[in-house]
Amino acid sequence: MYTVLHGIAGYLLLFLTLRVLRRRPGAQMTPFEFVLIFLMGGVIILTTMDDDHSVTNSTMGVITIGLMHRLFALIRQRFPRAAAIIDGETLVLLKDEQWQKEAMKGGAIADDDVMAAARTKGLRTLQAIKYAVLERNGAISIVKDKQRQDQKG
Amino acid sequence: MPSSAPPTAPVRDSVAKVNDELAVGSDLEFQRRWWKFERAIWIFFTLLIVLDVLGVFGRGPLAKARLRAADGSAEVTYERIERHKTPSVLTAHFGPSAIQDGKVRLWVSDDLVKELGNQRVSPQPESSRLERGGILYTFPAGAPPLAVQFSLEPSSIGRASISLEVQGRDRLSANIFVMP
Repeated sequence: MYTVLHGIAGYLLLFLTLRVLRRRPGAQMTPFEFVLIFLMGGVIILTTMDDDHSVTNSTMGVITIGLMHRLFALIRQRFPRAAAIIDGETLVLLKDEQWQKEAMKGGAIADDDVMAAARTKGLRTLQAIKYAVLERNGAISIVKDKQRQDQKG
Repeated sequence: MPSSAPPTAPVRDSVAKVNDELAVGSDLEFQRRWWKFERAIWIFFTLLIVLDVLGVFGRGPLAKARLRAADGSAEVTYERIERHKTPSVLTAHFGPSAIQDGKVRLWVSDDLVKELGNQRVSPQPESSRLERGGILYTFPAGAPPLAVQFSLEPSSIGRASISLEVQGRDRLSANIFVMP
C-alpha cells in the first residue's frame, strides 16, 4: 500500500517541482539540467521504494507511476486549459528582431540559448531569426527570416 | 462486411497565431498568471525549507525536547517530532533517587516499542518484564550520572504517547508526532 501512496505523492511532488522550475528541463539537456534530473530521481526513489526490494513492490511502483502518467495524459487531452497547466505554454522569445523580454525572463532563457538553437538550423547570426519560440518541452524552435537569408545567400 | 473508414475532421485554424502568420497558440495572459503561481509556490517551498532547518518537521533544534520528573528521579531527552523509519535516540538520565538496592527499575509504556519501534536498549537491562501495559526494565546501577538509551525507529505515522517512570516515582509522559 505504501508504495502506491508514495508513488502517487512522489509523482505529484516531482511534477509540481519540475513544472515551476521556469527553465524547462527536457530538450535543453545541458549539465545544468542533468544534475537536476539525476539528483531528484535519486532522492525520490528512496522513499518511493522504501526498504522493500521485492518484485511485488517494484511492480506496484511501476504500475502506479504508469497509471498516474496515463491519468495526466487523459486530463491533458480532455481539457485544453489543463494542458497549459500540465505542459506549460509556448512562449515567443524573439519576434521581428525584438527580444520579448517578459517571455525571456519568464522562461529563464538567455540570448545564447536562442543562438545555440539557431546554429542547429544553420543560422549564423541572431538577425537571421524571424521567430524564436520556447516550446512546451523546453526546445527552442527557430523560424528563419527569409529575406535576410536570401540576401546573404 | 464493408470496413468503416476511420473518422476524420477538417483542419481548422484552431491554434492562435502571432503576426497573423505563426501558429504558436501562445497565451501570455495565462502565462503571467502562471508566473505568479510559480512565485507563490517558491515562497511556499522556501518556507518549508526554513521550517525544516529549524526542525519543525523533525531532526532539528525545535524537535528536541526534554522532560524532567519533579522528584528528580529521571530526565528524558527525546525528539518531539520523529520521522517514519528514521533512527533516533531517546535518553533517560537518572538522579540518585532513582537507585534502589543498587538497581534502577524503569517502566516504559508499550508505545515505545509498538509505535516508536524501539530497536535496542543500551546498556542491556539485567531483566525485562511485562507489566501494566508496558515493560519494566531492571538495570544494575552504580554511582550517578546514569543514563539509558533507547534506539528508536518509528514504524507507524501520526501521534504516539509514551510514558516512562522510575518504579514508585513520578511518571513522565510525552506526545510524539511521527512524520511520514
